[in-house]
Amino acid sequence: MRAAARRRRAFIYLALSLLYLVILLFPVYWMAMMMVKPADLMFVRPTEWAFSPTLSHFEYVVEHGFLGNLGTSLIVSIGSTLLVVVIGTPAAYAFARFKIWRRDDLFLFILATRMAPPVALAIPFYLIYAKLDILDTHLGLIVVYLTFNLSFYVWVLCSFCRDLPVELEEAALADGYSRAHVLYKIVLPLLRPGIVATSVLCFIFAWNEFLYAFLLGGRSVKTLPVAIPTLITGQGVLWGELAVVGVIAIVPVFIVVFYLQRHIIRGLTLGAVKG
Amino acid sequence: MAASEHPNGPARREPPPKRVRSRQERRDLWYPYILIAPTMITLVIVGLVPFTFAIFISFHEMTYLNMGGFAGVDNYSKLLGDSRFWHSLLISFIFVAIAVPIEFALGLVGALVLSQFVRLRSFVIPALFIPTMMAPIVVALAWKIMLAGSWGLLSYNVLERFGILDETSAFASPDLALFALIFVDIWEWTPFMTLAFFAGIQSLPANPYRAAVVDGANALQRFFRLTLPMMTPLFAVIGLLRLIDAFKVFDTIFLLTGGGPGTATESVSVLGYKLVFEFWEIGRASALAVVVWILFFIFCNVFYQIAQKKLKAF
Repeated sequence: MRAAARRRRAFIYLALSLLYLVILLFPVYWMAMMMVKPADLMFVRPTEWAFSPTLSHFEYVVEHGFLGNLGTSLIVSIGSTLLVVVIGTPAAYAFARFKIWRRDDLFLFILATRMAPPVALAIPFYLIYAKLDILDTHLGLIVVYLTFNLSFYVWVLCSFCRDLPVELEEAALADGYSRAHVLYKIVLPLLRPGIVATSVLCFIFAWNEFLYAFLLGGRSVKTLPVAIPTLITGQGVLWGELAVVGVIAIVPVFIVVFYLQRHIIRGLTLGAVKG
Repeated sequence: MAASEHPNGPARREPPPKRVRSRQERRDLWYPYILIAPTMITLVIVGLVPFTFAIFISFHEMTYLNMGGFAGVDNYSKLLGDSRFWHSLLISFIFVAIAVPIEFALGLVGALVLSQFVRLRSFVIPALFIPTMMAPIVVALAWKIMLAGSWGLLSYNVLERFGILDETSAFASPDLALFALIFVDIWEWTPFMTLAFFAGIQSLPANPYRAAVVDGANALQRFFRLTLPMMTPLFAVIGLLRLIDAFKVFDTIFLLTGGGPGTATESVSVLGYKLVFEFWEIGRASALAVVVWILFFIFCNVFYQIAQKKLKAF
Protein backbone atom coordinates (compact mmCIF):
# COMPACT_ATOMS: atom_id res chain seq x y z
CA MET A 1 0.00 0.00 0.00
CA ARG A 2 2.64 2.54 1.08
CA ALA A 3 4.82 1.64 -1.86
CA ALA A 4 1.95 2.32 -4.23
CA ALA A 5 1.24 5.66 -2.60
CA ARG A 6 4.86 6.61 -2.84
CA ARG A 7 4.99 5.64 -6.48
CA ARG A 8 1.92 7.71 -7.19
CA ARG A 9 3.47 10.71 -5.45
CA ALA A 10 6.68 10.28 -7.44
CA PHE A 11 4.60 10.17 -10.59
CA ILE A 12 2.84 13.42 -9.70
CA TYR A 13 6.17 15.15 -9.06
CA LEU A 14 7.52 13.80 -12.33
CA ALA A 15 4.50 15.13 -14.20
CA LEU A 16 4.79 18.53 -12.50
CA SER A 17 8.49 18.70 -13.28
CA LEU A 18 7.85 17.90 -16.91
CA LEU A 19 5.17 20.59 -17.06
CA TYR A 20 7.62 23.06 -15.55
CA LEU A 21 10.24 22.06 -18.10
CA VAL A 22 7.78 22.77 -20.90
CA ILE A 23 7.12 26.24 -19.46
CA LEU A 24 10.86 26.83 -19.21
CA LEU A 25 11.88 25.55 -22.60
CA PHE A 26 8.94 26.34 -24.82
CA PRO A 27 9.59 30.08 -25.31
CA VAL A 28 13.17 29.28 -26.29
CA TYR A 29 12.03 26.53 -28.63
CA TRP A 30 9.41 28.79 -30.18
CA MET A 31 11.97 31.51 -30.75
CA ALA A 32 14.37 29.00 -32.32
CA MET A 33 11.59 27.83 -34.64
CA MET A 34 11.14 31.35 -35.90
CA MET A 35 14.65 31.25 -37.34
CA VAL A 36 13.36 29.09 -40.19
CA LYS A 37 9.73 30.21 -40.31
CA PRO A 38 8.64 32.16 -43.40
CA ALA A 39 7.87 35.77 -42.53
CA ASP A 40 4.27 35.66 -43.74
CA LEU A 41 3.40 32.71 -41.48
CA MET A 42 5.04 34.20 -38.40
CA PHE A 43 1.96 35.52 -36.62
CA VAL A 44 -1.01 34.39 -38.66
CA ARG A 45 -4.13 33.74 -36.66
CA PRO A 46 -4.86 30.98 -35.94
CA THR A 47 -1.30 29.95 -35.18
CA GLU A 48 0.43 27.96 -37.89
CA TRP A 49 2.21 24.95 -36.40
CA ALA A 50 3.50 23.28 -39.55
CA PHE A 51 5.43 25.09 -42.26
CA SER A 52 8.19 24.52 -44.79
CA PRO A 53 11.43 25.98 -43.42
CA THR A 54 13.27 28.85 -45.07
CA LEU A 55 16.82 30.10 -44.76
CA SER A 56 16.06 33.68 -45.82
CA HIS A 57 16.44 35.07 -42.31
CA PHE A 58 19.97 33.70 -42.10
CA GLU A 59 20.80 35.29 -45.43
CA TYR A 60 19.56 38.66 -44.24
CA VAL A 61 21.56 38.40 -41.02
CA VAL A 62 24.77 37.57 -42.89
CA GLU A 63 24.21 40.23 -45.57
CA HIS A 64 23.52 43.01 -43.10
CA GLY A 65 26.75 42.47 -41.23
CA PHE A 66 25.51 40.92 -38.01
CA LEU A 67 28.55 38.68 -38.02
CA GLY A 68 30.46 41.89 -37.37
CA ASN A 69 28.44 42.32 -34.18
CA LEU A 70 29.37 38.78 -33.24
CA GLY A 71 33.02 39.76 -33.71
CA THR A 72 32.58 42.87 -31.58
CA SER A 73 30.94 40.84 -28.84
CA LEU A 74 33.84 38.38 -28.91
CA ILE A 75 36.53 41.08 -28.82
CA VAL A 76 34.94 43.01 -25.99
CA SER A 77 34.06 39.98 -23.86
CA ILE A 78 37.35 38.17 -24.30
CA GLY A 79 39.36 41.37 -23.90
CA SER A 80 37.69 42.34 -20.67
CA THR A 81 37.85 38.79 -19.28
CA LEU A 82 41.59 38.47 -19.95
CA LEU A 83 42.21 41.81 -18.32
CA VAL A 84 40.18 40.76 -15.30
CA VAL A 85 42.11 37.51 -14.89
CA VAL A 86 45.48 39.23 -15.07
CA ILE A 87 44.58 42.01 -12.66
CA GLY A 88 42.34 40.10 -10.30
CA THR A 89 44.01 36.75 -9.65
CA PRO A 90 46.80 38.05 -7.35
CA ALA A 91 44.32 40.16 -5.41
CA ALA A 92 41.94 37.23 -4.83
CA TYR A 93 44.85 35.18 -3.52
CA ALA A 94 46.07 37.99 -1.28
CA PHE A 95 42.63 38.54 0.24
CA ALA A 96 42.30 34.85 1.01
CA ARG A 97 45.74 34.37 2.54
CA PHE A 98 47.20 37.46 4.15
CA LYS A 99 46.50 39.90 6.89
CA ILE A 100 45.56 43.10 5.18
CA TRP A 101 44.95 46.43 6.85
CA ARG A 102 41.16 47.05 7.01
CA ARG A 103 40.57 43.95 4.94
CA ASP A 104 36.83 43.92 5.56
CA ASP A 105 36.37 47.51 4.46
CA LEU A 106 38.40 46.97 1.31
CA PHE A 107 36.42 43.84 0.54
CA LEU A 108 33.17 45.70 1.05
CA PHE A 109 34.41 48.36 -1.36
CA ILE A 110 35.00 45.62 -3.94
CA LEU A 111 31.52 44.24 -3.38
CA ALA A 112 30.01 47.70 -3.70
CA THR A 113 31.40 48.12 -7.19
CA ARG A 114 29.81 44.79 -8.14
CA MET A 115 26.45 45.84 -6.75
CA ALA A 116 26.51 49.27 -8.37
CA PRO A 117 23.38 49.98 -10.40
CA PRO A 118 24.56 50.26 -14.03
CA VAL A 119 22.36 53.26 -14.74
CA ALA A 120 23.96 55.22 -11.93
CA LEU A 121 27.43 54.41 -13.25
CA ALA A 122 26.62 54.79 -16.93
CA ILE A 123 25.83 58.49 -16.52
CA PRO A 124 29.27 59.59 -15.26
CA PHE A 125 30.93 57.11 -17.60
CA TYR A 126 29.13 58.64 -20.54
CA LEU A 127 30.32 62.14 -19.60
CA ILE A 128 33.90 61.02 -18.94
CA TYR A 129 34.04 59.02 -22.17
CA ALA A 130 32.67 61.98 -24.12
CA LYS A 131 35.53 64.10 -22.70
CA LEU A 132 38.17 61.46 -23.41
CA ASP A 133 36.67 60.78 -26.82
CA ILE A 134 36.44 57.03 -26.31
CA LEU A 135 32.69 56.69 -26.70
CA ASP A 136 31.85 53.93 -29.15
CA THR A 137 35.22 52.16 -28.94
CA HIS A 138 36.17 48.62 -27.96
CA LEU A 139 38.48 50.00 -25.29
CA GLY A 140 35.67 51.96 -23.69
CA LEU A 141 33.48 48.89 -23.30
CA ILE A 142 36.34 46.71 -22.09
CA VAL A 143 37.13 49.23 -19.36
CA VAL A 144 33.55 49.74 -18.23
CA TYR A 145 33.02 45.97 -17.97
CA LEU A 146 35.76 45.93 -15.36
CA THR A 147 33.34 47.61 -12.96
CA PHE A 148 31.22 44.54 -12.48
CA ASN A 149 33.57 41.80 -13.67
CA LEU A 150 36.75 42.61 -11.78
CA SER A 151 34.97 42.91 -8.47
CA PHE A 152 32.97 39.78 -9.16
CA TYR A 153 36.10 37.85 -10.14
CA VAL A 154 38.11 38.84 -7.07
CA TRP A 155 35.20 38.12 -4.77
CA VAL A 156 34.44 34.63 -6.14
CA LEU A 157 38.01 33.52 -6.79
CA CYS A 158 38.83 34.48 -3.23
CA SER A 159 36.33 31.86 -2.08
CA PHE A 160 38.10 29.29 -4.27
CA CYS A 161 41.48 30.36 -2.87
CA ARG A 162 40.33 29.75 0.66
CA ASP A 163 39.76 26.08 -0.17
CA LEU A 164 43.41 25.54 -1.07
CA PRO A 165 45.49 23.85 1.63
CA VAL A 166 47.94 26.37 3.06
CA GLU A 167 50.37 23.57 3.99
CA LEU A 168 51.63 23.19 0.42
CA GLU A 169 52.59 26.83 0.27
CA GLU A 170 54.25 26.69 3.68
CA ALA A 171 56.24 23.64 2.63
CA ALA A 172 57.37 25.36 -0.54
CA LEU A 173 58.41 28.46 1.42
CA ALA A 174 60.33 26.29 3.86
CA ASP A 175 62.09 24.75 0.89
CA GLY A 176 63.33 28.20 -0.02
CA TYR A 177 60.86 29.13 -2.75
CA SER A 178 60.31 32.84 -3.09
CA ARG A 179 56.80 34.23 -2.59
CA ALA A 180 56.43 34.87 -6.29
CA HIS A 181 57.55 31.33 -7.04
CA VAL A 182 54.98 29.90 -4.65
CA LEU A 183 52.23 31.89 -6.33
CA TYR A 184 53.30 30.88 -9.80
CA LYS A 185 54.28 27.25 -9.29
CA ILE A 186 52.00 26.08 -6.46
CA VAL A 187 48.95 28.28 -6.21
CA LEU A 188 48.12 28.94 -9.85
CA PRO A 189 48.07 25.28 -10.96
CA LEU A 190 45.86 24.33 -8.01
CA LEU A 191 43.59 27.26 -8.63
CA ARG A 192 43.11 26.60 -12.31
CA PRO A 193 39.58 25.09 -12.09
CA GLY A 194 38.43 28.07 -10.06
CA ILE A 195 40.02 30.54 -12.46
CA VAL A 196 38.40 28.83 -15.44
CA ALA A 197 34.94 28.74 -13.88
CA THR A 198 35.04 32.32 -12.62
CA SER A 199 36.46 33.79 -15.80
CA VAL A 200 33.90 31.93 -17.89
CA LEU A 201 31.20 33.63 -15.84
CA CYS A 202 32.90 36.98 -16.40
CA PHE A 203 32.90 36.24 -20.11
CA ILE A 204 29.19 35.44 -20.02
CA PHE A 205 28.32 38.58 -18.06
CA ALA A 206 30.21 40.72 -20.56
CA TRP A 207 28.67 38.80 -23.44
CA ASN A 208 25.13 39.28 -22.11
CA GLU A 209 25.57 42.88 -21.02
CA PHE A 210 23.21 45.35 -22.62
CA LEU A 211 22.95 48.73 -20.90
CA TYR A 212 26.59 49.85 -21.03
CA ALA A 213 27.07 48.48 -24.52
CA PHE A 214 23.95 50.30 -25.64
CA LEU A 215 24.82 53.65 -24.06
CA LEU A 216 28.60 53.75 -24.38
CA GLY A 217 28.91 51.87 -27.66
CA GLY A 218 26.11 51.61 -30.11
CA ARG A 219 27.13 52.79 -33.55
CA SER A 220 30.38 51.37 -34.86
CA VAL A 221 30.96 49.18 -31.80
CA LYS A 222 27.74 47.26 -31.44
CA THR A 223 27.58 44.00 -29.50
CA LEU A 224 25.01 41.29 -30.24
CA PRO A 225 22.57 42.25 -27.46
CA VAL A 226 22.60 45.83 -28.73
CA ALA A 227 22.02 44.64 -32.29
CA ILE A 228 18.74 43.02 -31.24
CA PRO A 229 16.63 46.18 -30.75
CA THR A 230 17.92 47.59 -34.06
CA LEU A 231 15.89 44.93 -35.86
CA ILE A 232 12.75 46.47 -34.41
CA THR A 233 12.48 49.19 -37.02
CA GLY A 234 9.94 51.86 -37.86
CA GLN A 235 8.97 49.89 -40.95
CA GLY A 236 8.22 46.79 -38.96
CA VAL A 237 9.81 44.11 -36.85
CA LEU A 238 12.07 41.55 -38.50
CA TRP A 239 11.05 38.66 -36.27
CA GLY A 240 12.89 35.89 -38.06
CA GLU A 241 16.12 37.88 -38.09
CA LEU A 242 15.62 38.76 -34.43
CA ALA A 243 15.30 35.07 -33.65
CA VAL A 244 18.50 34.27 -35.53
CA VAL A 245 20.51 36.94 -33.72
CA GLY A 246 18.96 35.97 -30.38
CA VAL A 247 19.86 32.32 -30.81
CA ILE A 248 23.39 33.19 -31.95
CA ALA A 249 23.70 35.22 -28.75
CA ILE A 250 22.72 32.36 -26.43
CA VAL A 251 24.18 29.22 -28.02
CA PRO A 252 27.86 29.82 -27.09
CA VAL A 253 26.80 30.50 -23.52
CA PHE A 254 24.90 27.23 -23.22
CA ILE A 255 27.76 25.20 -24.60
CA VAL A 256 30.14 26.56 -21.97
CA VAL A 257 27.64 26.36 -19.14
CA PHE A 258 26.87 22.69 -19.59
CA TYR A 259 30.53 21.86 -19.10
CA LEU A 260 30.89 23.82 -15.89
CA GLN A 261 27.51 23.44 -14.18
CA ARG A 262 28.66 22.91 -10.61
CA HIS A 263 31.15 25.75 -10.42
CA ILE A 264 28.70 28.14 -11.98
CA ILE A 265 26.26 27.97 -9.07
CA ARG A 266 29.05 28.87 -6.74
CA GLY A 267 29.99 31.81 -8.88
CA LEU A 268 26.43 33.07 -9.30
CA THR A 269 25.87 33.08 -5.55
CA LEU A 270 29.17 34.98 -5.12
CA GLY A 271 30.69 31.95 -3.43
CA ALA A 272 27.95 31.58 -0.81
CA VAL A 273 27.21 28.00 -1.94
CA LYS A 274 30.13 25.66 -2.33
CA GLY A 275 28.41 23.84 -5.23
CA MET B 1 53.21 18.75 -9.09
CA ALA B 2 55.39 21.73 -9.80
CA ALA B 3 57.42 21.28 -6.63
CA SER B 4 58.99 18.05 -7.90
CA GLU B 5 61.08 20.01 -10.38
CA HIS B 6 63.21 21.35 -7.54
CA PRO B 7 63.20 18.73 -4.83
CA ASN B 8 65.26 20.91 -2.49
CA GLY B 9 64.03 24.24 -3.73
CA PRO B 10 66.18 26.83 -5.45
CA ALA B 11 69.65 27.25 -3.93
CA ARG B 12 69.69 29.90 -1.23
CA ARG B 13 72.28 32.62 -1.16
CA GLU B 14 74.05 33.10 2.14
CA PRO B 15 74.34 36.78 3.09
CA PRO B 16 74.71 37.78 6.77
CA PRO B 17 71.60 36.26 8.39
CA LYS B 18 70.43 39.13 10.60
CA ARG B 19 69.90 41.86 7.98
CA VAL B 20 68.35 39.50 5.47
CA ARG B 21 65.67 38.49 7.93
CA SER B 22 64.47 41.96 8.66
CA ARG B 23 64.48 42.82 4.98
CA GLN B 24 62.60 39.65 4.21
CA GLU B 25 60.10 40.50 6.89
CA ARG B 26 59.61 43.97 5.57
CA ARG B 27 59.06 42.61 2.11
CA ASP B 28 56.53 40.10 3.46
CA LEU B 29 54.67 42.93 5.05
CA TRP B 30 54.31 44.69 1.72
CA TYR B 31 53.70 41.57 -0.34
CA PRO B 32 49.87 41.36 -0.01
CA TYR B 33 49.53 45.05 -0.82
CA ILE B 34 51.56 44.61 -3.99
CA LEU B 35 49.21 41.80 -4.98
CA ILE B 36 46.03 43.76 -4.40
CA ALA B 37 47.34 47.06 -5.76
CA PRO B 38 46.41 46.55 -9.44
CA THR B 39 42.86 45.56 -8.50
CA MET B 40 42.35 48.35 -6.02
CA ILE B 41 43.76 51.00 -8.36
CA THR B 42 41.59 49.75 -11.22
CA LEU B 43 38.47 49.71 -9.06
CA VAL B 44 39.17 53.21 -7.82
CA ILE B 45 39.46 54.38 -11.42
CA VAL B 46 36.38 52.60 -12.76
CA GLY B 47 34.28 52.75 -9.59
CA LEU B 48 35.18 55.50 -7.19
CA VAL B 49 36.15 58.15 -9.75
CA PRO B 50 32.89 57.96 -11.76
CA PHE B 51 30.95 57.88 -8.51
CA THR B 52 32.71 61.00 -7.21
CA PHE B 53 32.23 62.63 -10.58
CA ALA B 54 28.48 61.87 -10.42
CA ILE B 55 28.32 63.55 -7.00
CA PHE B 56 30.22 66.53 -8.39
CA ILE B 57 27.90 66.89 -11.39
CA SER B 58 24.83 66.52 -9.24
CA PHE B 59 25.72 69.79 -7.51
CA HIS B 60 26.16 71.68 -10.77
CA GLU B 61 23.98 73.14 -13.46
CA MET B 62 24.18 71.14 -16.64
CA THR B 63 23.10 72.11 -20.11
CA TYR B 64 23.46 69.01 -22.24
CA LEU B 65 27.03 67.87 -21.70
CA ASN B 66 28.38 71.26 -20.62
CA MET B 67 28.86 72.02 -17.00
CA GLY B 68 27.57 75.33 -15.70
CA GLY B 69 27.94 76.96 -12.31
CA PHE B 70 27.49 75.54 -8.85
CA ALA B 71 23.84 74.81 -8.24
CA GLY B 72 23.76 73.71 -4.62
CA VAL B 73 21.10 71.15 -3.91
CA ASP B 74 18.96 72.36 -6.78
CA ASN B 75 19.11 69.11 -8.71
CA TYR B 76 18.22 67.13 -5.61
CA SER B 77 15.28 69.28 -4.64
CA LYS B 78 13.98 69.09 -8.21
CA LEU B 79 14.43 65.33 -8.26
CA LEU B 80 12.87 64.75 -4.86
CA GLY B 81 10.05 67.13 -5.71
CA ASP B 82 9.29 65.26 -8.92
CA SER B 83 6.39 62.88 -8.52
CA ARG B 84 7.73 60.90 -11.44
CA PHE B 85 10.80 59.96 -9.40
CA TRP B 86 8.71 58.69 -6.49
CA HIS B 87 6.48 56.87 -8.93
CA SER B 88 9.50 55.10 -10.42
CA LEU B 89 10.68 54.13 -6.94
CA LEU B 90 7.23 52.75 -6.25
CA ILE B 91 7.27 50.76 -9.50
CA SER B 92 10.68 49.30 -8.66
CA PHE B 93 9.48 48.53 -5.17
CA ILE B 94 6.33 46.75 -6.39
CA PHE B 95 8.38 44.84 -8.93
CA VAL B 96 10.83 43.60 -6.31
CA ALA B 97 8.19 43.01 -3.63
CA ILE B 98 6.15 40.72 -5.87
CA ALA B 99 8.79 39.04 -8.01
CA VAL B 100 11.43 38.19 -5.42
CA PRO B 101 9.21 36.44 -2.81
CA ILE B 102 7.55 34.36 -5.52
CA GLU B 103 10.90 33.42 -7.02
CA PHE B 104 12.11 32.60 -3.53
CA ALA B 105 9.16 30.36 -2.68
CA LEU B 106 9.04 28.58 -6.02
CA GLY B 107 12.80 28.17 -5.97
CA LEU B 108 12.67 26.57 -2.55
CA VAL B 109 9.90 24.20 -3.60
CA GLY B 110 11.88 23.28 -6.68
CA ALA B 111 15.02 22.67 -4.65
CA LEU B 112 13.16 20.42 -2.20
CA VAL B 113 11.63 18.42 -5.04
CA LEU B 114 15.05 18.01 -6.65
CA SER B 115 16.62 16.88 -3.40
CA GLN B 116 13.85 14.29 -2.91
CA PHE B 117 13.83 12.82 -6.39
CA VAL B 118 17.31 11.96 -7.50
CA ARG B 119 16.31 10.84 -10.96
CA LEU B 120 14.81 14.18 -11.91
CA ARG B 121 18.13 15.92 -11.49
CA SER B 122 19.89 14.69 -14.59
CA PHE B 123 17.45 16.35 -16.96
CA VAL B 124 15.95 19.14 -14.87
CA ILE B 125 19.19 20.78 -13.74
CA PRO B 126 20.66 21.44 -17.19
CA ALA B 127 17.34 22.99 -18.26
CA LEU B 128 17.38 25.28 -15.23
CA PHE B 129 20.58 26.86 -16.48
CA ILE B 130 18.95 28.04 -19.69
CA PRO B 131 16.94 31.02 -18.40
CA THR B 132 19.61 31.80 -15.80
CA MET B 133 22.45 32.23 -18.24
CA MET B 134 20.55 33.58 -21.23
CA ALA B 135 21.16 37.22 -22.07
CA PRO B 136 18.27 39.14 -20.43
CA ILE B 137 17.67 40.91 -23.71
CA VAL B 138 17.07 37.54 -25.38
CA VAL B 139 14.74 36.54 -22.54
CA ALA B 140 12.81 39.69 -23.34
CA LEU B 141 12.83 38.82 -27.02
CA ALA B 142 11.51 35.31 -26.43
CA TRP B 143 8.67 36.70 -24.32
CA LYS B 144 7.95 39.46 -26.76
CA ILE B 145 7.36 36.73 -29.31
CA MET B 146 5.09 34.88 -26.89
CA LEU B 147 3.08 37.82 -25.57
CA ALA B 148 3.41 40.84 -27.82
CA GLY B 149 0.68 42.27 -29.97
CA SER B 150 -2.58 40.52 -30.46
CA TRP B 151 -0.69 37.94 -32.51
CA GLY B 152 1.81 36.64 -29.95
CA LEU B 153 1.39 32.93 -29.36
CA LEU B 154 0.01 33.33 -25.85
CA SER B 155 -1.87 36.56 -26.44
CA TYR B 156 -3.84 34.95 -29.20
CA ASN B 157 -4.19 31.39 -28.01
CA VAL B 158 -4.63 31.96 -24.29
CA LEU B 159 -5.29 35.55 -23.24
CA GLU B 160 -7.76 36.31 -25.99
CA ARG B 161 -9.45 32.93 -26.02
CA PHE B 162 -10.21 33.20 -22.32
CA GLY B 163 -11.32 36.78 -22.68
CA ILE B 164 -8.59 38.32 -20.51
CA LEU B 165 -7.47 40.71 -23.22
CA ASP B 166 -8.85 41.66 -26.57
CA GLU B 167 -6.93 42.80 -29.65
CA THR B 168 -4.00 44.04 -27.59
CA SER B 169 -0.97 42.71 -25.79
CA ALA B 170 -0.26 42.31 -22.11
CA PHE B 171 2.65 44.73 -22.46
CA ALA B 172 0.46 47.46 -23.93
CA SER B 173 -2.18 47.27 -21.23
CA PRO B 174 -1.65 49.79 -18.40
CA ASP B 175 -3.09 47.38 -15.84
CA LEU B 176 -1.26 44.26 -16.89
CA ALA B 177 2.09 45.49 -18.22
CA LEU B 178 3.86 45.54 -14.88
CA PHE B 179 2.57 42.09 -14.00
CA ALA B 180 3.61 40.74 -17.37
CA LEU B 181 7.13 42.03 -16.66
CA ILE B 182 7.04 40.48 -13.21
CA PHE B 183 5.97 37.20 -14.77
CA VAL B 184 8.93 37.31 -17.16
CA ASP B 185 11.27 38.05 -14.27
CA ILE B 186 9.88 35.08 -12.34
CA TRP B 187 10.33 32.87 -15.38
CA GLU B 188 13.92 34.07 -15.72
CA TRP B 189 15.05 33.87 -12.10
CA THR B 190 13.15 31.06 -10.37
CA PRO B 191 15.53 28.50 -11.92
CA PHE B 192 18.50 30.35 -10.44
CA MET B 193 16.91 30.28 -6.99
CA THR B 194 16.20 26.56 -7.40
CA LEU B 195 19.79 25.85 -8.37
CA ALA B 196 21.23 27.91 -5.54
CA PHE B 197 18.96 26.45 -2.87
CA PHE B 198 19.46 22.94 -4.18
CA ALA B 199 23.23 23.33 -4.01
CA GLY B 200 22.80 24.71 -0.49
CA ILE B 201 20.67 21.76 0.64
CA GLN B 202 23.16 19.35 -0.89
CA SER B 203 25.97 20.83 1.16
CA LEU B 204 24.15 20.43 4.50
CA PRO B 205 25.72 17.86 6.83
CA ALA B 206 24.02 14.45 6.78
CA ASN B 207 24.45 13.47 10.43
CA PRO B 208 21.72 15.62 11.99
CA TYR B 209 19.26 14.05 9.55
CA ARG B 210 20.35 10.53 10.46
CA ALA B 211 19.93 11.37 14.13
CA ALA B 212 16.50 12.87 13.46
CA VAL B 213 15.35 9.75 11.62
CA VAL B 214 16.54 7.57 14.48
CA ASP B 215 14.60 9.81 16.88
CA GLY B 216 11.50 9.36 14.76
CA ALA B 217 11.14 12.87 13.29
CA ASN B 218 8.91 13.02 10.22
CA ALA B 219 9.69 14.87 7.00
CA LEU B 220 7.93 18.07 8.06
CA GLN B 221 9.71 18.19 11.40
CA ARG B 222 13.03 17.58 9.70
CA PHE B 223 12.35 20.43 7.31
CA PHE B 224 11.31 22.96 9.96
CA ARG B 225 13.73 21.92 12.68
CA LEU B 226 16.81 21.12 10.59
CA THR B 227 16.77 22.32 6.99
CA LEU B 228 15.22 25.70 7.64
CA PRO B 229 17.48 26.80 10.53
CA MET B 230 20.62 25.56 8.82
CA MET B 231 19.70 27.26 5.56
CA THR B 232 18.64 30.62 7.02
CA PRO B 233 21.92 32.48 6.42
CA LEU B 234 22.06 31.19 2.87
CA PHE B 235 18.46 32.25 2.32
CA ALA B 236 19.35 35.73 3.51
CA VAL B 237 22.38 36.04 1.26
CA ILE B 238 20.73 34.72 -1.88
CA GLY B 239 17.53 36.63 -1.22
CA LEU B 240 19.43 39.86 -0.82
CA LEU B 241 21.54 39.21 -3.89
CA ARG B 242 18.41 38.63 -5.92
CA LEU B 243 16.77 41.68 -4.36
CA ILE B 244 19.61 43.93 -5.44
CA ASP B 245 19.67 42.52 -8.96
CA ALA B 246 15.89 42.74 -9.31
CA PHE B 247 16.01 46.37 -8.26
CA LYS B 248 18.44 47.09 -11.09
CA VAL B 249 16.44 45.37 -13.83
CA PHE B 250 16.61 47.28 -17.08
CA ASP B 251 17.08 45.11 -20.17
CA THR B 252 13.76 43.27 -20.11
CA ILE B 253 11.72 46.38 -19.29
CA PHE B 254 13.53 48.36 -21.95
CA LEU B 255 12.78 45.90 -24.73
CA LEU B 256 9.31 44.80 -23.64
CA THR B 257 7.63 48.06 -22.64
CA GLY B 258 10.23 50.83 -22.61
CA GLY B 259 8.67 52.01 -19.35
CA GLY B 260 5.25 52.36 -20.88
CA PRO B 261 2.38 52.45 -21.49
CA GLY B 262 2.66 55.97 -20.10
CA THR B 263 4.81 55.50 -17.03
CA ALA B 264 3.14 52.27 -15.92
CA THR B 265 6.39 50.26 -15.89
CA GLU B 266 8.92 53.04 -15.48
CA SER B 267 11.34 51.70 -12.89
CA VAL B 268 14.18 53.73 -11.40
CA SER B 269 16.65 52.35 -13.95
CA VAL B 270 14.39 53.23 -16.85
CA LEU B 271 13.78 56.72 -15.47
CA GLY B 272 17.52 57.23 -15.06
CA TYR B 273 18.04 56.21 -18.65
CA LYS B 274 15.30 58.53 -19.89
CA LEU B 275 16.55 61.49 -17.85
CA VAL B 276 19.86 61.31 -19.66
CA PHE B 277 19.12 60.07 -23.12
CA GLU B 278 15.66 61.45 -23.75
CA PHE B 279 15.34 64.59 -21.64
CA TRP B 280 19.07 65.41 -21.38
CA GLU B 281 18.60 66.38 -17.73
CA ILE B 282 22.12 65.35 -16.81
CA GLY B 283 22.19 67.18 -13.48
CA ARG B 284 19.00 65.61 -12.24
CA ALA B 285 20.07 62.22 -13.60
CA SER B 286 23.28 62.46 -11.60
CA ALA B 287 21.29 63.30 -8.49
CA LEU B 288 19.21 60.19 -9.19
CA ALA B 289 22.38 58.16 -9.61
CA VAL B 290 23.67 59.34 -6.24
CA VAL B 291 20.38 58.59 -4.47
CA VAL B 292 20.28 55.12 -5.98
CA TRP B 293 23.90 54.57 -4.98
CA ILE B 294 23.14 55.42 -1.38
CA LEU B 295 20.25 52.95 -1.35
CA PHE B 296 22.50 50.29 -2.76
CA PHE B 297 25.28 50.94 -0.36
CA ILE B 298 22.89 50.27 2.49
CA PHE B 299 21.69 47.03 0.86
CA CYS B 300 25.28 46.00 0.27
CA ASN B 301 26.35 46.59 3.80
CA VAL B 302 23.49 44.49 5.16
CA PHE B 303 24.32 41.76 2.67
CA TYR B 304 27.94 41.76 3.70
CA GLN B 305 27.24 41.72 7.43
CA ILE B 306 24.90 38.74 7.10
CA ALA B 307 27.12 36.89 4.67
CA GLN B 308 30.18 37.28 6.79
CA LYS B 309 28.89 36.97 10.31
CA LYS B 310 26.30 34.25 9.79
CA LEU B 311 27.51 32.32 6.80
CA LYS B 312 31.25 32.88 7.20
CA ALA B 313 31.31 32.48 3.46
CA PHE B 314 33.45 35.38 2.42
